Amino acid sequence: MTWRTFLRLLAIWIGCLVFCALSIFFSVRIDRSRVAPGPYVVTVWERGQRSARQVVNGEQELTHALEAESAPRGAQRIVERIVDSAPIFGHSWLMIGLSMVPGQDGLFVEFDGRTRYMTPDDLRKLEAYEHTIPIGPLSLILGIDVSRVLGALARELATDPDELLRRGRFRRFAVVSDAPYPRKVSELEITAATVKDSIQGAARYLVRNQQHDGSFRYELNAMSGGESEVYNYPRHAGATYFLARTANQLRDERVLRAAERAGSFMKDRTTLQCGSHACVGTGDRVDIGSSSLALLAYVELLEGGLEAFRAPALQLAAFLRSQQRPDGEFKHFYNVAEQRAIDAQVEYYTGEATFALSRVQRVSRDPNDLEAARRGLSFLVARSPWFLGSHYFWGAEHWTCQALADLWQRAPDRVALQFCLDWQAVNRNLQFEAPPAPTTHDGSISRGPFMAPRLTPTASRLEAAVATLEVAYAAGLPPAQIDVLEHQVKRAFAFLLRYQFSPGPTHLMPKPRALEGGFPGSSIDLHVRIDYPQHAAGALLRYWELAYAGEPH
Amino acid sequence: MTGNESRVRVAFGVLNALSASVLLVGVFGVVQPRFWALDAPAAIIALVELVSAVGLLAKLPWAERALSIAAWVTFVLGMLIVSLVLLTITFLRGIHGDYGLAALAVSSLIIALLVPYTVVLPALELLWLKRRRAEPRP
Repeated sequence: MTWRTFLRLLAIWIGCLVFCALSIFFSVRIDRSRVAPGPYVVTVWERGQRSARQVVNGEQELTHALEAESAPRGAQRIVERIVDSAPIFGHSWLMIGLSMVPGQDGLFVEFDGRTRYMTPDDLRKLEAYEHTIPIGPLSLILGIDVSRVLGALARELATDPDELLRRGRFRRFAVVSDAPYPRKVSELEITAATVKDSIQGAARYLVRNQQHDGSFRYELNAMSGGESEVYNYPRHAGATYFLARTANQLRDERVLRAAERAGSFMKDRTTLQCGSHACVGTGDRVDIGSSSLALLAYVELLEGGLEAFRAPALQLAAFLRSQQRPDGEFKHFYNVAEQRAIDAQVEYYTGEATFALSRVQRVSRDPNDLEAARRGLSFLVARSPWFLGSHYFWGAEHWTCQALADLWQRAPDRVALQFCLDWQAVNRNLQFEAPPAPTTHDGSISRGPFMAPRLTPTASRLEAAVATLEVAYAAGLPPAQIDVLEHQVKRAFAFLLRYQFSPGPTHLMPKPRALEGGFPGSSIDLHVRIDYPQHAAGALLRYWELAYAGEPH
Repeated sequence: MTGNESRVRVAFGVLNALSASVLLVGVFGVVQPRFWALDAPAAIIALVELVSAVGLLAKLPWAERALSIAAWVTFVLGMLIVSLVLLTITFLRGIHGDYGLAALAVSSLIIALLVPYTVVLPALELLWLKRRRAEPRP
C-alpha cells in the first residue's frame, strides 16, 4: 500500500463515516423548540385515571374536543401538543429503549392501520421512564421500560407485545403540555414569600402524613396512591429534625407538636444501650448516623422549649464522643450484642456526627462537644497534598459544610471554608443550564446527560451550598464570589420549587391531597419519601434563615 | 539489514510493546467489571502486538510477518471501534440533543486516546512493510 492509496482509503472511510453519522443524526433528532404544529392529544383524567382520549389535528377541533367528557366535577382536560417526531429504527426493544428521552418523549405506534400515542403523561402514570437492564456485568439505563410500555400498548391494540414489536411502526415525539406541572419558576421568583410557602408546604406534608404513634407514612406513590411498607429510622430522625427546625423558625405550634411526637417515637422506641451510653437504632448493630440525626432533632426540640429531650440529647452526645478516634474520625458502628464499637466507615456518618456535636454544644455548653466537633471537621476536610485528584473527586457528603457554618463563630476553620467553596465550584460544573438543557432542568445537579436529574441530590448539595454562603458572608469573602454562589443557590431552588407538589400533576394523582407540599424523587419518579421534603425544604429553611428571617413579612 | 531499517524495527517493537502494555493495564488493570465485548478484542490486539514486539526486538525471522498480522488486526479493529464510538455519539446527540460540553469533551477524549494507538501506529507500520516489500532484495 502506497501513501497515496492509504490516504485515498482513509478519505473514503472518513467520508462514509461522516455520511452515516449525519444520516443517523438528522433521522433521529427532534426539534423541541418548534411551534407545535400538531396533532394534539387531548386527554381527560378523573381521579388519576385516563377516562377519555381524542387526537385532533386542527385548532378548531381542539377547542371542542372532549368538552362533554371534561365537564364532570374533578375531571381534568389536558392537551399535549406534538411539536416534532422522529422514527425509531428497527424492531428492537433495545433501540426503542435507547431512543427515548426520559421525562420528555412520548411513543407513537402504528399497528394494523390503527395508531396509539403513549404520551409523557401516560409514561409517567405507568412509571415507565428510565429502566436499568443488565448487559453482562454492566448496567444499561434505557429511556423507558420497554416491556411495560409494549404491554400497555398491546392491551390497547388487543394484540400481544411480541407481535406489536415485530409489526408495529414506532416513532418518538416531543410535546408541549398545558398541564400546570412542572410549575414555571425562575430564580427571580425566589423570594421570602415563595421560600416560606414552600417550607410550610413541606412541613404540612409531613404533619399530614404522620401516624398517631409519631412515625410517618414513609413513602407515598403519587401515581398509584399506594405507600411503602418499609421504614428507616435515620430518615425518621432527619424528618423530625426538619420539622423541629421549621417549628422554631416559623413559630408554628402545630408543627412543633408533630416534631415532639416524632421525637418521642425515637426516644421511647428506638433508644438502646451501647456500653455505658444511650444510642439510637434497632437490632444488634447500630450506626452513629441514627444517633447523630436523633441528636440534631433533640437539640431543635430543646430549643423549642421541650426539656424532656435534654437528658436524651446529652446521652447521645456522650455516645458520639465515645465513638470518636484520636484522629477525629468516628467508628461508625456499634455491636449491641457484643457491646463493642466497630471501626468501619461509610459515607455521611462522620459529617452527621460532627454537625450533631457542634449543635449539641449550644445546649450542653460542654467544651468536649465543641472540641470533638472541631476535630471531626478538621478530619473531614483534610486533603493530602500528594494526591492531585483530591481537588477533583468529590462525593455527595453534605453535612461537612453545615458543620462548618455551625462552628464558624466558635471555631472558625479556613481550610474547611476553602474545602466547601471548592466543592460548590464542582457542583456549579454539574449544574444543568438551560439552554442547552431543558428549561425545567435548569439549576439541577446532573446525574449524567442521559438521565433526568433528581431533586434530593440537588437539595442536599443545596443545604451545604447555603451553609457555605452563610460562612462566605461571615468571613467577608469578595462580593463577586458571594454573587456566584448565591446565583447557583437560587437557580437550584427554582428547580426544586418547579417540581414541588403545590399541588403537582393532580390529573395523574388518585390522592392529590395526601401529597400536597411533598417533593418527589424526580420529574419521572413521582414518589415522596420522608427525606425528600426534609432535604429540599431544609435547604430552603437555611436560606430563609440567612436571607429573610430578619425581614418583616 | 541497513542501520536505518534496524532502527525502525526497534522503534516499532518498542511502540507495539508499549501499546500492548497500555491496553493490558488499561483494560484489565483499571476497567471493572469484566465484559467479554471489551476484553476479547483488547486481549487479541495486545497479544498480537506483544508477539510482534518480541519478534522485532529479538530480530527473529518471522518478525515482519508477525508485524503485518498485528498491524492489520489492530488497524481493522481500531477503525471499527472508532467508527462505532463516533456513530454512537452522533446517535445519542440526535436523541438527547445538545447534552453539554462535558459529555462532548469526554467523547472527544476517548477518540483522541484511541486514534494514535489503533489507527495511526498500525497504518504507519503497514506503509513501512509495503515499502520494504517493494524494495529490491540483495
